[in-house]
Amino acid sequence: MRLRRPVPYEELDHTADAGVIVHGRSKEEALARLVLAYADLVTGGAPVATGADRVVEVAPGDLAAVAVDVLRELLFRLETERWVPESCEVVHFDPERGARLVIGSAPYDPVAHADGLVLKAVTLHAARFEPEGSGWVAAIVFDV
Amino acid sequence: MTLALRKLSRFVWEIPREGKMRVAGRLYVSESQLAALRTDQALEQVVNVAHLPGIVGASLAMPDIHWGYGFPIGGVAAVDAESGAVSPGGVGYDINCGCRVITTQLHVDDVRNHLHAIVAKLFATIPTGMGAGRAIPRLSPRELGELMTQGADWAVARGYRAGPDDAAHCEESGRLQGAEPDWVSQRALERGADQVGTLGSGNHFLEVQQVTEIYDPEAAAAFGLRTGEITLMIHSGSRGLGHQVCDETLHELSRVYARFGADYAALPDRQLACAPIGSELGQRYLGAMQAAANFAWANRQVMTGLAVRAVAEALGLPETELGARVLYDVCHNIAKFEEHLVDGQVRRVLVHRKGATRAFGPGDPRVPEAYRDVGQPVLIPGDMGRYSFVLAGNADAMTETFGSSCHGAGRLLSRTAALKRARGRHIERELAARGIEVLAKGPRTLGEEMSEAYKDVEDVVDVIAGAGISRKVAKLVPLGVIKG
Repeated sequence: MRLRRPVPYEELDHTADAGVIVHGRSKEEALARLVLAYADLVTGGAPVATGADRVVEVAPGDLAAVAVDVLRELLFRLETERWVPESCEVVHFDPERGARLVIGSAPYDPVAHADGLVLKAVTLHAARFEPEGSGWVAAIVFDV
Repeated sequence: MTLALRKLSRFVWEIPREGKMRVAGRLYVSESQLAALRTDQALEQVVNVAHLPGIVGASLAMPDIHWGYGFPIGGVAAVDAESGAVSPGGVGYDINCGCRVITTQLHVDDVRNHLHAIVAKLFATIPTGMGAGRAIPRLSPRELGELMTQGADWAVARGYRAGPDDAAHCEESGRLQGAEPDWVSQRALERGADQVGTLGSGNHFLEVQQVTEIYDPEAAAAFGLRTGEITLMIHSGSRGLGHQVCDETLHELSRVYARFGADYAALPDRQLACAPIGSELGQRYLGAMQAAANFAWANRQVMTGLAVRAVAEALGLPETELGARVLYDVCHNIAKFEEHLVDGQVRRVLVHRKGATRAFGPGDPRVPEAYRDVGQPVLIPGDMGRYSFVLAGNADAMTETFGSSCHGAGRLLSRTAALKRARGRHIERELAARGIEVLAKGPRTLGEEMSEAYKDVEDVVDVIAGAGISRKVAKLVPLGVIKG
């Protein structure tokens, strides 16, 4: 299932940096929401155009580490290829295989997205990806 | 987390050693600062750092301490150079994020009527924020390799300079000798190739300031600071290149650090992941981190040259008439090998300063000769609406804090809380009404970075002065600000 922005998320009240908390009915939905919440942060919530699909794959690890790695990859691509996610489909996401995502990309526009946060890095500090109730919760802190 | 704290003196508190802490925690804060700290995780992070393998003395926190990731911002930890661990989280993502002050012989009356033009020219010349254009042509891998070896000298040799002694007036002369550019990844090079001479975003800034008060005339004279004269202050770091170096090392370390032994496996926060200094991974990080530190010095040096040129052009003066000189340049995020007195013995230690400034006292041979009689200049930026300070290192810093001091005001409000408070306000206009011209990439930055989001930096430096670590030399008030 492909999710598109906007998605619901909470901003973590970190003193110096920024973070998000997302929920999902499945871990795949929570990861897709995490990706799109990240896109919301870096674009300041401004709309983005629809562009080409891009594949992002990361290596196995615990779920929080894999989620962090997905966002690290997206941050690297933002800085070097200048695109942000517009939509996200999680093909697989588990500790044994890591993650594979198909992401609808949109060009980053420095003027239209000037109100977005400039994130330096994705941290492991307080990183969570775990079941909660009947669904899943994920929390990530970004270095600003 | 409830911590029992022991008051050692008016501004010094101890978190006694317990559990698997290898040393005690020691905080340099006032009572009111301490009360504010109990609301987040910063104190817990001081305790976590006390678990680092090889840590000596104490896990230290400066008065601008606030919640970071792994280390608190404002944290200092020295580890034994042989048996200790190097922690990339103890340096931070923005390796050698730092601050420099450039003095000029311009008087405030020379610039008052040209402020708008000066700030506009600086903003047009020095790229800020994400997606900004290039300050200088994109560098090849070979050029980046030279830059990461030479540091500030690389930029000076290409004409980016203020005065005749810019590099000599940087901590470590603007160049760490252990840099290993070959250990900086292709991805890091890719991120850094077109970012030399760019400011970045968040709390990075370039300010045009006026010296308004002198507290220590002897030190001020040595530093070339005179009331009414104009200074420039630059706060920036190693940009995407440094972020990538830290990011990749932490990624690798987070999967293997527990294999280095029980002390490593027992670390309470994955963001503190570290490696023995002598290990292959530890050495690889140190070489790459030092290369990134040199990148940061070259970055600030290029911006120095560009800023001096921009101010001269805005005033219609030749650059030489500005009388510009680099006063000093300090690292805020770094790990460096230094010798310090530990338990009565001189020991070689690796000092991690995460949001802290080196502050060596008078007579130390590592302080530039021009400042050796008065102590190292310690540059403490405040917020864009109030003031910054120049301090001088005291001898007490050498015995108390491994020659370290605070690095800034420290945030008081989260970014979200600051934005809420800024809603409906025009921060740019509020600053203009107070005579401060500000240009930023977007309104969000101005809201997040407004004065109320930060502690009053004067409260911070008063604590560090009260504890005898550094002493106040001069106050610098912003007239113009550019931000990402």
